[in-house]
Amino acid sequence: MRWSSWALSAASALLFPSFFPLSEPPPSETSLVHKTKYAMGTVYEIAAYDDSPAHASLAMDRAFAEIVRLDQVMSNYKPESDLSRLNRCAHFHAEQVPQDLYRIIEESLRYSKISGGKFDITVAPLVDLWKAAIRGDRVPTQQQLDQVRVCVGFKKVELIPPDRVEFHSPCMRIDLGSIGKGYAVDRAAEVLRANGIRNAFVDAGQSTLYGMGSPPGQDAWEVHLRDPSSRIDPVVRLHENSVSTSEQTPASLLGNATAGHIIDPDNGKPLETRYALSIVAKTAIASDALSTTLLLVGPDKGRPIVRAVADAAAIWVSAEGQTETVSTGPEIRIHAKEGALHQPRIHQANFFARESR
Amino acid sequence: MTTSRVAIAAVLMSLCVTPVSRAKVYVHWTQRAIPAVKTLGADDLVLDWNDDAKTIVEAATKRGYHVYFETTLEQAVSTLDSAARVAAVGIIVKAETSKAAEAEAVAQKLKVAHPELKILVLNSGGRQPDMRGWLVFNKNGILQVSSPTSQPWLDSNFALVHYEQAIQKTQPPLYTFAWDLSDPLVKEQGPHPEDYALAIAEAGAFHADLVLEIYGKQQKGLAEGDKNVLADWELVKRTLAFYQRNDTTGEPTARVAVLTGDYDSSYETLNLMARHNIPYRVLHSSEVTAQDLAAFDVVIAFAELSKELSEGLSPFANSGGVAVLVNLKGPYPWESSANAKTSGPSVTYTIGKGRIIALAEPVADPETFVQDVRRLMVKDRIPVSLWNSLTTLVVAYPQKQSGDVIVELVNYAQESLQVQVQVKGKFTSVKYATPELSNWETLKPSFVDGFTEFVVPDVVIGGRVHLAAAETPAR
Repeated sequence: MRWSSWALSAASALLFPSFFPLSEPPPSETSLVHKTKYAMGTVYEIAAYDDSPAHASLAMDRAFAEIVRLDQVMSNYKPESDLSRLNRCAHFHAEQVPQDLYRIIEESLRYSKISGGKFDITVAPLVDLWKAAIRGDRVPTQQQLDQVRVCVGFKKVELIPPDRVEFHSPCMRIDLGSIGKGYAVDRAAEVLRANGIRNAFVDAGQSTLYGMGSPPGQDAWEVHLRDPSSRIDPVVRLHENSVSTSEQTPASLLGNATAGHIIDPDNGKPLETRYALSIVAKTAIASDALSTTLLLVGPDKGRPIVRAVADAAAIWVSAEGQTETVSTGPEIRIHAKEGALHQPRIHQANFFARESR
Repeated sequence: MTTSRVAIAAVLMSLCVTPVSRAKVYVHWTQRAIPAVKTLGADDLVLDWNDDAKTIVEAATKRGYHVYFETTLEQAVSTLDSAARVAAVGIIVKAETSKAAEAEAVAQKLKVAHPELKILVLNSGGRQPDMRGWLVFNKNGILQVSSPTSQPWLDSNFALVHYEQAIQKTQPPLYTFAWDLSDPLVKEQGPHPEDYALAIAEAGAFHADLVLEIYGKQQKGLAEGDKNVLADWELVKRTLAFYQRNDTTGEPTARVAVLTGDYDSSYETLNLMARHNIPYRVLHSSEVTAQDLAAFDVVIAFAELSKELSEGLSPFANSGGVAVLVNLKGPYPWESSANAKTSGPSVTYTIGKGRIIALAEPVADPETFVQDVRRLMVKDRIPVSLWNSLTTLVVAYPQKQSGDVIVELVNYAQESLQVQVQVKGKFTSVKYATPELSNWETLKPSFVDGFTEFVVPDVVIGGRVHLAAAETPAR
């Protein structure tokens, strides 16, 4: 585990003035501690401001330990994980699972309902079949597709309170790749809070970010969102909420037939979209769960989904600089640079000048 | 046999045997007091020239060290004379990457003046090896997010070593880097032992030499026998010993050639290719011939092609190779081909069994470009691949005489990691060693479609795997 910290003094804040009004004078000596940890196949980062770097460091170690523990619960890759055991056994009987796994499956099913089934933790066998076809194997036959569809469908997962799960399909398996990191980020934030950290930022592989409190002298964590056009520079200010970003694999520069890693489970084809999507939500589990779904459905079908979620906002940014947004609370600010093709249609628009990245 | 015949035979034998590529670690020392070689774990010491130099050299030499003086290009001549006077082993001329050729020329001249001294050129453009996150913090505490990539970002010196191998003909790559001391605790106490170990492991795995800066407080602790410093240093010594025990020979396997004449313009791509474990070799564009390309499946050209080379690319493609020309302005012979297909910023010319792809602009998105390069590689010929170990770099060294393969692994996460490995060929004996293990451990391989697959159960910082066709004692 690597880490770094450095003192942020009032003097440095004056030397590098913010473009935002300072809500309160910065503390005289607060250290920023920044650590990274490889887990769940990605790099988790935590940055925290605290008067004691040693205290912050210890709290971050505990948060990372929680992420590692959750990996043992949710990993598909580890045969000894609780999820692997569930996938092996839940076809035969209602399997008892740890509270974390029960909770994340429960949340997943909630987002499946909100999204009309577009978000589905049981869809992996179908996606795998299509990915195999794209890699050069034969296009799946209707019979193969029918066989796999028997294994898929969130309605075939039954939760039996308080802690048991049963599959009503003989070949069903759950994959938490589209929500697990969000849950881990939320849990890490809870551990940080429980250890007395008030101002911290948690990142799971840059796809899901959570802001607790704020940096000294600020009222939120400023995050520049993905902008494939390099013209819009969308910015969100996180304060006790999260943002997740989803984007299809970029097109090949050399004419390779690249499939893209996001497959539309409805038709098995790699998603073709002009957009990168960012969704702000109160929790990381919510933003993580909704990000791929909203990219899949696009802005027209995505807006009603976001409207069903309290304190959420989404922005779709196209490669040409067009934006589509929706919000039930949070504000995503954008700064249309020269050359943008369209003025964005946004909720709660608030333009301001700032330097771009 | 007479003495002269023995000498000639020895010289001939040495020419026939591929040299061992053991990496050397030179320790840069700035304190007056010097610990025993046994305490430090290395016996090559690099000093800065000063008034006490003669006394320090004498003391260090008595303790068994080989002493070098570090100098700049401008002061190389005077330092060399001084080094000769105080009986140092040699000097190390420090230069930035952009002045590597100039430094090499100066070194050659100095060697003529003082043949009894070793003169090495040190590239000062290294980076502290590190697994970084993506977050970027402004000094006023506002957070920004850097460019997204699908893999953890690793700061490695692999690209630098490859580049040095292409331009340095008379010595192994030798580099150094400055520690990041922005952290107040690191600034007070010095880098962690794991950080030193990673730097040593990286250089060792790449078969490069390293001038290792040791923090002043830690130097003092080592020289004065501070218990805590000595305890911390055990990991560093163990890692030093592990990489000194290496007798791997030869160069790493490469299936991709990168033609360049300018480190800066191709650096980002080279760095990302290393991070994606794409086995490549850098070739200096002005020295490469068409015949040199036959050993590769993919050629990436960042530098203008000579007439001979551009004529040689068509036969290369014809026999199945893929050439990628990055922002090079023709005209080239293949541009008149009817088999041209434009896709985004690139034009693909199909020639025989292969292709020449002309990218009409500089590489704007290195990550996408490198993923493209990986797809261009011939799957069946990839010498080594890793799974579920995104923080690990791998290098495979085929041993010409025995047919064995040595695989070096470096884990930038610096934490225990299970690494799944696939190596081209069938090897029934697979053994691995790490600095933490006292003996070689046997691994159970499986064989899939012409590859040997196995799992290394625990790589913390560095590890070495020895694959042999039959059961033999591992080195």
